[in-house]
Amino acid sequence: MIAELGHLALCFALVLSLLLTVFPLYGSYRGAAGPVLLARPIALLLFLLTSVAFGALCYSFWANDFTVLNVASNSNSLLPWYYRMTAVWGSHEGSMLLWVLMLSGWTAAVALLSNSLPLILQGRILGVLGFVNVGFYAFILLMSSPFERTLPFFPVDGRDLNPLLQDFGMIVHPPLLYMGYVGFAVSFAFAIAALLGGRFDANWARWARPWTLAAWLFLTLGIMLGSWWAYLELGWGGWWFWDPVENASLMPWLVGTALIHSLAVTEKRGTFKSWTVLLAIAAFSLSLLGAFLVRSGVLVSVHSFATDPSRGLFLLFFLLVVVGGSLLLYGLRMRAVRSQARYQLFSREVLLWGNNVFLLTATLVVFLGTLYPLFHKELGLGSISIGEPFFNSIFMYLTIPFALLLGLAPWVRWKQQQVQPLLKPLGLWLVGALVLAVGVLSMYQTPSANVALLGLLLGAWVTMATIGEIQQKAVQLGGVPGLFKLQASHWGMVLGHLGFAMLVIGIAMTKTFSVEKDVRMKIGDSVELNGYTFMLTDVYTLNGPNYGGQAAELEVFKQGERVTHLHAEKRFYHVTQSVMTEAAVHARLSRDLYVALGEELSGPSWALRVYVKPYVRWIWLGSILMSLGGLVSLLDKRYRRKRNPTAAQTGEETHA
Amino acid sequence: MRCNLVLLLALLVFPALAAEDLLQFESAEQQQLYRQLTAELRCPKCQNQNIADSDAVVAVDMRNKTLELVRQGQSHDQVIDFMKQRYGDFVHYQPPFQLSTILLWLLPVLAVLSLAWTVFRRSKDSQTEEGEPVATSDNLTALDAELQAMIDAASQKPKE
Amino acid sequence: MRKALFYVPLAAFLALSLFLLSGLFSDPRDHGSALIEKPLPAFSLPDLQQPERMITAADLKGEVTLLNVWGLWCPTCNAELSFLTELRQQGVRIVGLYYVQPVDAAFGDSFDIKALRHDVEQKLAEQGDPYLFNIVDEKRSLIFDLGVTGAPEAFLIDRNGVIRHHHVGDINPQNWPQLQQRYQQLQEGDPDAL
Repeated sequence: MIAELGHLALCFALVLSLLLTVFPLYGSYRGAAGPVLLARPIALLLFLLTSVAFGALCYSFWANDFTVLNVASNSNSLLPWYYRMTAVWGSHEGSMLLWVLMLSGWTAAVALLSNSLPLILQGRILGVLGFVNVGFYAFILLMSSPFERTLPFFPVDGRDLNPLLQDFGMIVHPPLLYMGYVGFAVSFAFAIAALLGGRFDANWARWARPWTLAAWLFLTLGIMLGSWWAYLELGWGGWWFWDPVENASLMPWLVGTALIHSLAVTEKRGTFKSWTVLLAIAAFSLSLLGAFLVRSGVLVSVHSFATDPSRGLFLLFFLLVVVGGSLLLYGLRMRAVRSQARYQLFSREVLLWGNNVFLLTATLVVFLGTLYPLFHKELGLGSISIGEPFFNSIFMYLTIPFALLLGLAPWVRWKQQQVQPLLKPLGLWLVGALVLAVGVLSMYQTPSANVALLGLLLGAWVTMATIGEIQQKAVQLGGVPGLFKLQASHWGMVLGHLGFAMLVIGIAMTKTFSVEKDVRMKIGDSVELNGYTFMLTDVYTLNGPNYGGQAAELEVFKQGERVTHLHAEKRFYHVTQSVMTEAAVHARLSRDLYVALGEELSGPSWALRVYVKPYVRWIWLGSILMSLGGLVSLLDKRYRRKRNPTAAQTGEETHA
Repeated sequence: MRCNLVLLLALLVFPALAAEDLLQFESAEQQQLYRQLTAELRCPKCQNQNIADSDAVVAVDMRNKTLELVRQGQSHDQVIDFMKQRYGDFVHYQPPFQLSTILLWLLPVLAVLSLAWTVFRRSKDSQTEEGEPVATSDNLTALDAELQAMIDAASQKPKE
Repeated sequence: MRKALFYVPLAAFLALSLFLLSGLFSDPRDHGSALIEKPLPAFSLPDLQQPERMITAADLKGEVTLLNVWGLWCPTCNAELSFLTELRQQGVRIVGLYYVQPVDAAFGDSFDIKALRHDVEQKLAEQGDPYLFNIVDEKRSLIFDLGVTGAPEAFLIDRNGVIRHHHVGDINPQNWPQLQQRYQQLQEGDPDAL
């Protein structure tokens, strides 16, 4: 009964999303306020109904209702309640329901928080969002309903959730990731609304920017959690695999980063409009492309859902309409728009653009690496694989100019900047960066640590240049108290850039200095790695709620002193008959100690993998710092003003 | 979790026994090569995994073969070629550098150059440019600017 | 020209869509084979029925052969046996390459060819025997050299011992006609048949 209610709620939601498309667009077209104002309650009701549907599915999982096909396929009565709840989005159908929950949520938020926008623009934005909603509700109702019944069959128990997903990561990673993916629909809607209108309001960028920042920060967190989760879950200390599904999340992120910077330029100087609009379209298009790749079965991935080509066809058709339509509109309307501001070669506009060049090229590299094997094969040229060696080498080359420009840009004024005054202060900070990098590296005695040195240099440069710019501001604004005059978006930039520096340093150091050992140990044996001694003290049988297996206990010492105790597991899940490793991790800022338990060998002895991974935490902490930067920028006062000020396009301010 | 304090103390009394490496190599370079190869070689049967992480029979066989070849002293390229002869280009995560794949490296280079060029062009002083047929920021007249300002002001109202 | 540039993203996207559409209808797990048009790798492996007799690549020359990789542990292979037996009765020359699963040496298991022969004979008596003879690949050495990733798989080998086709998956009435065409072309002695 509950499942049917959920299904009914989705049907009503589809109807509402159709109304949400038609009314506001009609209102905008005719200049009638009534239909546009109607969009707000429609959007709120849409979100409410979707929540009801989502709640219905949650209830079915909670109550172990195995007559619902989705519950029977993805849950089990032995599954702990918190994993039963996350199993709601553990399948294709359930995750699509999560997707529309987020989408209707963002739509409702836009409907509620857009009072300061001109009504016509509001109408167009909500209309576009409505259209996107229609596509997804139709997709769910036609081919991916989570509310299908198994009746007249009544399974006694379910097939259990994939053990890989029975982890805290599953609770947080998909929701945050989807918030990001779906959030880019809002900046997409802003872009289309502007194109439909045929010209750009002076405040268009200022209105679009907080929505874009919000989506971006969620996506950053979502990707970071995915990486962290994979590190813990997959048992061999890796944190990024260039898997097609991971790449599908990285592409919108890279374009989203380029978008927030392009929006900064358009907001401040009114220029780069054509690029900003294109990037807004591209970010959401890549989200949609990602959804297509994951669910169509076109690419082989560890993450992909099992699905059939008919779903792929629907999604491709939807992609054609949304992306093809928006790019057609772009071609038709954009050439009539001209930017008014001028800028010199050495100016912040150009440097921000320079960074976008590398972000977009990186996106192209990820795109090619992911899809080229498909192109190559479909053209009859044979099967090739593209993976880590390809991506890592190219990304390294792209990061160098990117990081160099990143450090420089905040120092450079809008419109034009003289080189001379920058030379001395920047020169000093550059030297500081060199000293810091070389100093840190000298603590490690390794003959060829080129990648580490490079990463340290770039990270140190960005850090020094960012701090240096703040220091210079302090001088200009009359000491440290003057810093409080700086806008939130300035601090957001500082945090974001420092976060990036941390990320680069973490990646470079962990790639160069991680060490591992594959050993066979009996109880009492110990292995030495990087100054740490790992001793196996016990191995015993496990007895979990829905799994068995073995657990190992280890003691870790450094120079005689006890550092910590480690507990590693190798679980055997009864229902799915699959094996899972739960790695033992001891985390510190300077390094992670990581142990994974392998199979039992003769003796009895066990195969174990032991790792010491320096600075690996910096990767995720840096990402969190970047998201924090996005959040701080979002809270800037100017996005909360009720009235729009008259446009002042050219400004001599130096903040972003 | 069992309390194994007694066991721990007992173990501390006896000399700690060193664990043996699961795989023996002649040198650290060989071990490094083995690690590198097993990370770069793709399991031909799995859903996108390298042979180091997969437990499929074919992955285990490939690992064993890699070990054998590395111990024989073969180089990185020799081992990769050996595998490619049997499983095709598919089995190496680095794409082959040939005419059909040249775009993988060419397109990014072209992207950087052309994207950089677009803004380089626009940032140059209008006096040094050839006359452009379309109205650019440089030859927008004061009237156009005024018109734009009027449009912007009009957009404040709900109805146009 | 400048205006045309604004349509480049649309053009690129449409081109992409064509590939995506094409990709939807092709099998992403099909990687092709590296051994087409290459001679059978050298090998020397025992015959399951007469372990003293070592079979080499020469034994597979002279006639067009369908080399079928299979194992008792593989349900699809067992299901395939009856159809393959029919094909044998129609005159198709089928040789079996037995895929031996790894044994767990650490726990004292070892490979017993006699037990295997007994089990295989039993199964073939039930389902039908399509094989002229069976090659036992205990270490999976030939299997590795052929680029086999699992079972069932099959190879079409021409009179000169050159591999002309690699088929992954079982052979059944639906996909046999296409293979049959290939087989007959090779029999008629056309080395360049596609």
